[in-house]
Amino acid sequence: MMRSIPGAGLTCAVLSILIVLVAAPLATIAIDTFGSPAWAEVLNSRLSRNLFWKPLGTTLLLGTGVAFGCVLIGGFLAWLVTMTDVPFRRSIGFMATLPFMIPSFATALAWGTLFRNSRAGGSTGLLEGLGLGVPDWLAWGLVPTTLVLIAHYYALAFTVISASLSSVNGDLVEAAQMSGASRRRILFGIILPVVMPAMLAGGSLAFAGAVSNFAAPALLGLPVRMQTLSTRLFGMIEIGQTERGYILAFLLILVSALFLGAGNRILSGRRSFATITGKGTRNKPQALGAARIPLCALALAICFVTTVLPIVLLVSASFAPMSSALFSDWTLHFWVGAADPAFARGQAGVFRNPQLMTALWMTLGLGACVALTATVIGLLAAVALNGRRIPVLTELTAQLGFLPMLLPGIAFGAAYIALYGAPIGPFPALYGTPLLLGLALTAATLPFAVQTGRATVAQISGDVEEAARMTGAGFFRRLGAITLPLARRGMIAGGLLTFVSVIGDLAIVVLLYTPSTPVLSVLSYRYASDGFHQFANAVTILILVLSVAATLIARRTR
Amino acid sequence: MISLTKLTKTFNGPPAVDDVTLSVPEGGFLVLLGPSGCGKSTMLRMLAGLETPTSGTIRFGDTVVADGARITPPDKRDAGLVFQSYALWPHMTVAGNVDWPLKVAGTPNRAGRVAEALKMMGIADLAHRYPGEISGGQQQRVALARMIAPRPKFLLFDEPLSNLDATLRVEMRHELSRLHKTTGATAVYVTHDQIEAMTLATHVAVMNRGRVEQFASPLDLLAKPATAFVARFVGTPPANLIPIRDGAWLARLPDAALRGATGHAMVRAEDLTLATGPRSLSAELMEAIPMAGQLLVTGAVGGHRITCVAPAGTPLTRDLHFALPDAPGAIFDIEGNPIR
Repeated sequence: MMRSIPGAGLTCAVLSILIVLVAAPLATIAIDTFGSPAWAEVLNSRLSRNLFWKPLGTTLLLGTGVAFGCVLIGGFLAWLVTMTDVPFRRSIGFMATLPFMIPSFATALAWGTLFRNSRAGGSTGLLEGLGLGVPDWLAWGLVPTTLVLIAHYYALAFTVISASLSSVNGDLVEAAQMSGASRRRILFGIILPVVMPAMLAGGSLAFAGAVSNFAAPALLGLPVRMQTLSTRLFGMIEIGQTERGYILAFLLILVSALFLGAGNRILSGRRSFATITGKGTRNKPQALGAARIPLCALALAICFVTTVLPIVLLVSASFAPMSSALFSDWTLHFWVGAADPAFARGQAGVFRNPQLMTALWMTLGLGACVALTATVIGLLAAVALNGRRIPVLTELTAQLGFLPMLLPGIAFGAAYIALYGAPIGPFPALYGTPLLLGLALTAATLPFAVQTGRATVAQISGDVEEAARMTGAGFFRRLGAITLPLARRGMIAGGLLTFVSVIGDLAIVVLLYTPSTPVLSVLSYRYASDGFHQFANAVTILILVLSVAATLIARRTR
Repeated sequence: MISLTKLTKTFNGPPAVDDVTLSVPEGGFLVLLGPSGCGKSTMLRMLAGLETPTSGTIRFGDTVVADGARITPPDKRDAGLVFQSYALWPHMTVAGNVDWPLKVAGTPNRAGRVAEALKMMGIADLAHRYPGEISGGQQQRVALARMIAPRPKFLLFDEPLSNLDATLRVEMRHELSRLHKTTGATAVYVTHDQIEAMTLATHVAVMNRGRVEQFASPLDLLAKPATAFVARFVGTPPANLIPIRDGAWLARLPDAALRGATGHAMVRAEDLTLATGPRSLSAELMEAIPMAGQLLVTGAVGGHRITCVAPAGTPLTRDLHFALPDAPGAIFDIEGNPIR
């Protein structure tokens, strides 16, 4: 009996979903701007300096600074944790991965609480309140944006570099010792070259993250008219110059994809794996001697400043009427106070804001729906990719599932407006519906979901699956009876982490939200850009509480 | 010559290497044989200079390289080491890996040395490849080339063949033997594989819990195992150690040849025959393996496995009888020490 190629149906189904979610919006901005006169305006006109070239310069400067900072700090912590006898190694290693869980707008808001000066009007930060003058360059613009993004992305570099360092086989170093090489020579001749791919990869990941970030440059740069590609793109679409916006989105994708692609290439290169074969001896931790305590203190300080301090600042700032006097006259007004013309320019507490409850439920609902949908699609994609290879289709599925990884969130948002902002045939425009946000967020979280799915499927496929096939159980029967029960824990954990990244996202939703579809992160951003910092802090804390809770449950699950 | 005197190494807890004294003549091939955790790797690392002894001395030729905690650094010992993981530097080519130690040492005519070492290991055509691009067996050859390029007088091996498949292992074993003969260097080789020990060694130190159970030539090890542990560990198949109590096989078949002892009697597989008689043990057939034109027959005797060598084509039934030899090869007491 002839049968069609098994698995072809599934692959086609997954592929069509990916086309709708990923390929179509991107194709739309490409088609919409193809041959458009806006290209010349953006790239080569009287306007182009302010429109594109200056923001591009700032973006590249920001990316480079953040990449260097992240490799420096992440690399330092990774070395300390994996190679030395520093005390509290496990705690430092754990804390160094946390900053990535804190949305970058939270860190940016915390920076303002501390360093804000009177340049942009409104209330000032704690340092000015203590009578210390904060210069403009430290309060606004490139320097604080860079520092905030380093504090956010060094966790990424730390993860990549420490994974590579811990795979540096102790034998490699001892083999060098056998030849009489000095410690210095071993460091420069063996360890650094072996870890170099990981450092480059960590750096390019941080670079790509920094150039696509929207929240930090928007909160710390826009008030002093510093523009990056992402804030410029946001501005263009906000004022209705959508075509210019799409072109900027296109260019931003190019810049970030270039570096992310390079990073991924380096990571999978032929010389990337430090351990060639076999089990080596564990690394003998390097004795730090007298530097042990100071280095430990430095590492703990870095971790504290990037994780605990921002949260403490945000919490106290959400209670203090003046962030210049952070720890006095605490009030619950910003949380639950009624509108009072004499207080906070008549703004009521966040829980009195009817939008807040809508936003809270909308955020939770979106987070849950997106986590569920992305996990299911991710699993189906993983099953399809793991099955029989179908020429072109399988490869295309893999590529499209990975593609959103290379796309800055805000550019992705722009692409979604381009495609789904207007009616398509019989379908009404999705703009202003939660569905639009849901689709965009699902697409953006797909690479992670596919990755989780593939890890799970790889773990349980093979013998276990084939044993079930021997009994004659069909595909869905096997999925329900074997694959899903085995994969459950991994998938719940993956889903929760997707949830965390959805509720903390600002870049994608900032272009897509409407007053009828508010979400917490945008609410916080609106408060902050209107100068209501305490209210922004309060909303951000809500997001943090949700994130931390979900992260903890995810850790428990695994 | 390598000689060790009262060598001891303690980490935390019981000593990993406990009061070892032995010596190997120049050009000898010493194999440290034992199960994992017996202290053989620690001993090798002390010879290499990567580990500092707690006490005792190590002499390479006439030079004392370790006297308690006063040690000569690894590169001043004229010794090369091959790691179990090969420890090839992944960012250097094959030639680069062989060259780097020479560069560090400031050796003249490096290119010539590298070419010679690669040629000797038969991997000259791999010179510009990276370790990640070649097979396990080839990586092993690179590791050997890197070791011999500086022409060390002492060759140290840490389970070098354990990551290879069976066919390659035999091939590389031969290669190592050839390498040892051509260089004329003194070798120390760590393994838990007794066949490697028997084929390569001029001297074997069987180690158990940090102590040397027996130090002898491979043939002596087989002929006169010093302890029950050694008897159980060497030989293909290993000798049978049959429990005895008060001079009776399995506490139920008295025999004057057991001299009233309690412990274990060693009976080699080739000394047992499949036959009934007054001095035989009845057994239940477990397995029969054809080997070198003969048959290895294993049966269960009251929960103990006993193996004998039978001629090929011997008819087998479920119930077997192992006829005992006139006298056991050796008798060991409860502690495993021989009773003579």
